[in-house]
Amino acid sequence: MSSLWQRLRNGWRRFNELYDQFFFSPFRAVAARRHRDEEDLFLLLCFSDMMGIPNPVNYYTLELLPAMLERFHAWHLRQGMEKSPPGGFR
Amino acid sequence: MSEPHWLDRRILFFGGKGGVGKTTCATAFALLASEAGRRTLLVSTDPAHSTGDILETELGPSERRITEHLWALEIDSEKAAAEYIDRVRIHLLRVAPEHLRAEMERQVEIARVSPGAEEAALFDRVAELVLTVRDQYDLVVFDTAPTGHTLRLLTLPELLQAWIDGLLERRKRVNELSTMWRQMTVGGSPDEETTDPVEKILTARRRKFFQMRELLLSPGETAFVFVLLAERLPILETAKAVDMLHRFKVPVGGLVVNRILPQDSGDHPFLAARKEQEQRYMKEIEATFPDLPRLELPLLPHDVVGSDALQEIVDHLRHAIG
Repeated sequence: MSSLWQRLRNGWRRFNELYDQFFFSPFRAVAARRHRDEEDLFLLLCFSDMMGIPNPVNYYTLELLPAMLERFHAWHLRQGMEKSPPGGFR
Repeated sequence: MSEPHWLDRRILFFGGKGGVGKTTCATAFALLASEAGRRTLLVSTDPAHSTGDILETELGPSERRITEHLWALEIDSEKAAAEYIDRVRIHLLRVAPEHLRAEMERQVEIARVSPGAEEAALFDRVAELVLTVRDQYDLVVFDTAPTGHTLRLLTLPELLQAWIDGLLERRKRVNELSTMWRQMTVGGSPDEETTDPVEKILTARRRKFFQMRELLLSPGETAFVFVLLAERLPILETAKAVDMLHRFKVPVGGLVVNRILPQDSGDHPFLAARKEQEQRYMKEIEATFPDLPRLELPLLPHDVVGSDALQEIVDHLRHAIG
């Protein structure tokens, strides 16, 4: 009796997981991409100076860098700046 | 002439076109206030730094006592910017993993040469002074750089706050999306509170700009005083600056018309012609700034250097204030 109950419960959980994957994973991918895009835009707004777009708050966004090290690096790579010219972009 | 109503303000900015005697007037006013027993701090923000020259002493970045109730300091914005950037750099290098160091160093160098760094450093220092030192002094007098530079400084909080607001809004969006995305992940907890350090830093900055703006725009607390000469170009420049400050709602306290020729200038045709022109321009000043109280200071027969000449200006100022 209890083992049947157990099996039913496991089956239900399994069904839920599949359901979740089936319906939600496309949304999840979209959400992840939107999150990344938004984060990229944020980094661009913070460090646009690097691309030659004047940014009046460049001085203040510098202090955000320690909190965004890895994101900044990943963004940097995505912008195709893996090999940046020595001496930066001026 | 109406009674200047800026005399009891606690934060005064002296500004005007280059060479009209801002430093002399600011220093004399600071001395006058200190002689009246008000604990006064005189701050030079002008990169030319002639305040120390006029007081015949060397001034540095921290307060130095000049007389019983007078202290003075000079802000070196170039040095302040370099110090700030060095601080961030050290912090960055401490937290950055090995493979990111070169990239971070490069970013720091970009910030170092980016336009506006010195301006922001100067602004930060002024904000720090007015926000923290205010409680230790009865009066803080700023001897500012020529007009354009100073207007930028006073209008900067508005611009910066708008930018930081924009960044903060985008950051909140990032965090929202991040939460959303995590909730969709199996095992993600919907109640997980985001403690985003970036949002925290931005919020702290925003608060500082906001406080500075409040203080700058508070007519009971702050006033901007323009020094000018009875000549064409200083009048034009002052008119533009007053307009600009009105637009940004920075309270303008009044005018000091400096280097007025003596009344009996009529004996020599050259001086008589100058005096006549001066009177014409005095009328123009009256017409251009009908609402601003004016003080007038005479042209002295000698330079204002050293304590005796300075005291002479202080006495004239005391007399003009009445």
